[in-house]
Amino acid sequence: MLGAIVAGDAGRSVALAWTGAGLATLLLACGLAASSPAPVHCGVAVLGAILLLRHSDRLLLAPLYGGGLLLVAELGVRSIELRGVGLIDPGSIGTRLGVLVAVAAVGVCAGACAALAVTGAPSRSLLVTAAGAIAAVAVCAAIALAARRS
Amino acid sequence: MNGALSPRLRGLLALGGGGLVAALATGHPELAVLATPFLVFVGVSLALAREPQLTACIDLDRTRLLEGERAAAMVTLVNEEAHAAEVELGLAHSRYLTLEPARPIVLQLARLATVTVEVSVCPERWGAHSVGPLIVHARDSMAALTWNRRLGERVAVRVFPREQRLRELVAPLRMQPFLGAHVGRSRSEGIEFADTRPFQAGDVARQVNWRASARRGSLHVTERHPEQASDVVLLLDTFAEAREGARGTLDAAVRATATLARAHLARRDRVGLVDFGGTLHWLEPAFGTTQLYRIIDALLSSEIAFSYAWRATESIPRRVLPPGALILAVTPLLDERSIRLVTDLRMRGCDLTVVEVSPLAHTTPGPAPADPLAFRLWRLQRDALRARLQGLGIGVAVWGDDETLGPALEGVNAFRRSARHALRA
Repeated sequence: MLGAIVAGDAGRSVALAWTGAGLATLLLACGLAASSPAPVHCGVAVLGAILLLRHSDRLLLAPLYGGGLLLVAELGVRSIELRGVGLIDPGSIGTRLGVLVAVAAVGVCAGACAALAVTGAPSRSLLVTAAGAIAAVAVCAAIALAARRS
Repeated sequence: MNGALSPRLRGLLALGGGGLVAALATGHPELAVLATPFLVFVGVSLALAREPQLTACIDLDRTRLLEGERAAAMVTLVNEEAHAAEVELGLAHSRYLTLEPARPIVLQLARLATVTVEVSVCPERWGAHSVGPLIVHARDSMAALTWNRRLGERVAVRVFPREQRLRELVAPLRMQPFLGAHVGRSRSEGIEFADTRPFQAGDVARQVNWRASARRGSLHVTERHPEQASDVVLLLDTFAEAREGARGTLDAAVRATATLARAHLARRDRVGLVDFGGTLHWLEPAFGTTQLYRIIDALLSSEIAFSYAWRATESIPRRVLPPGALILAVTPLLDERSIRLVTDLRMRGCDLTVVEVSPLAHTTPGPAPADPLAFRLWRLQRDALRARLQGLGIGVAVWGDDETLGPALEGVNAFRRSARHALRA
C-alpha cells in the first residue's frame, strides 16, 4: 500500500517505484520466511527511499509515511519473535500493539513538527546543514548513551 | 544485570540514523521526517525501559511416576516490580521428558502480578530426570531490552520402569535355610507332602499319619518339604546396547530386571544386584520391600558407560555372589566381556540363567547389497553363541521388549529340568 502511494504520483519513475515496492515486499517476505529481522529492516529502508520518487506532497506525506514504515517494521519483527512459541497470552499481543500504535502516533506528530520546521526554515545553507548534522549526531549520541545505561 | 539491546531496536536505530544521514547527504528533508518516528520510538523505548524483578517457583504434583504417566508442573511467576513486563518462559528438562506445551510460553505480567502456568510433563523412559530451572527472557513493556536469567530450582522426578506380572520364575537349584516360597527338596517341617516313614524316637506326635499307621499296623509319620528361600543375584549388562531412536535394549533390560527383582522379593527370596559394565555397581542380597526400592533406585541410574577396561569375575566382590545363589544375567550378549563373564561364572559352578534381551528389534540391515547377508550371518553367530551357552548348561531365555517375560522363563525351566543332573554336577 505504501508503494502504491508512491507509485501513484511517480510520473516517469512509476516503473522504478513499482520495482522498489516489489523489492521491499520480497525483502519483507524473505525476512519473515527466514525469521530474520535484517531483511525486514532492509525492506523498510527501500520503502523509505522510494518516497523520493514521488513528485508532489512528499513533505506533507512524510510523517504519516514514516509512521506507516514504523508499523510495518514493528509488526514484521513481532511476528518473527512470536514464531515458535507454544502458548501466547492474548494480553501480551494487545498490550504491545497498543503501545506501538501510541508511540507511532507520537512519532508521527514529531515528524509533522519536523516537517513544519523544514517548511518554515530558509533554503539550504552551510549553517543549516551544520545545525542539522549536529542535531543528528546529538540524537544518535543521546540514544547510544541511553542504550549503554541500560 | 544489564539488559541486552534487542536486535529489533538496533535495526530501528540504524534506520533512524540512516535516514538522518541520508537527508543530510542528499539534501532531502523528507528522509529526516521519515526517520523521526523511528528515533522517537527508540528514544521512548529506552527511556521507559526498566529491569523486571521476577521470582519463580516450580511445583510438581507428583515426583514419582511410572513410564507413560503424566505429571503437572505448576510454574508460578511473580513480578515484584511496579512496571509491566513481557516474559518468554521455557522450562529446562531432561532428555527423556516431554513437555506440553513443548515450545516457550509468552506472558504479559502486569505490575506486581502473579501468574501461574500449568505444563504437562510426560516421561518417555524410566530414569532419574529433572524439571527446571525456568529459562526466562524478560522484556520491558516496549521490548527494547531483554534480560535472560534462570529462575526457580531443579525438581527431581523419578520415573520407575513398567513391570510385568510373572506367574512362573526360574526355579533355583539350591535353597537357603530361610523361610520362603520355594518348595525345598529336603524333608523337614512344611506344607508340601513328601513321604511317610516309620515312627522314630524324637518324632512329634502331630506328625503321625493316622491313616498310614492304621493301614500298616504301626506308627508312621508324614514327612514334608520345607518352604525355603533362595538367593538370587540379578546381573545387568551395561557394557553395550542396541538402540534405534528412543528405544534400546538397556531400556528393556532394566524393565526385565525390575520385574524379576519384584517377583523374587515377593517370594521372600534374597535378591542382590550387580550392574556390570563400564562402571561397576552392586547391591548385596537382602530381603523385603526396602531392598526392592534400593534395587529400583540403582536401576534408575543405569546407563551405558563406554569403557575399554577389561572386567572379569574377580571385579565382583565375593559377598555379592553368595554360594548357591541363582544368577540371572540380563544381557543382550553384544559385548565379549559380558559373554566371557557368563561362561566364567558357569565354569565356576554357579547356577546361571541368561535372559537375552534380543537386539534384533533395534537392528536393521543396511542399504548396501551385502548388508542383508551380513545381517543373516550375525544372526547365525548369535544362534551359535546361544547353543554354546546351552551346551555349558546355561539356560537362555530369549525375550523381546514387546513380549511377556513369562513364556521365555518357562522355556528356561523346561531346559533346566532336562539338564538338572548336569547342572548339579
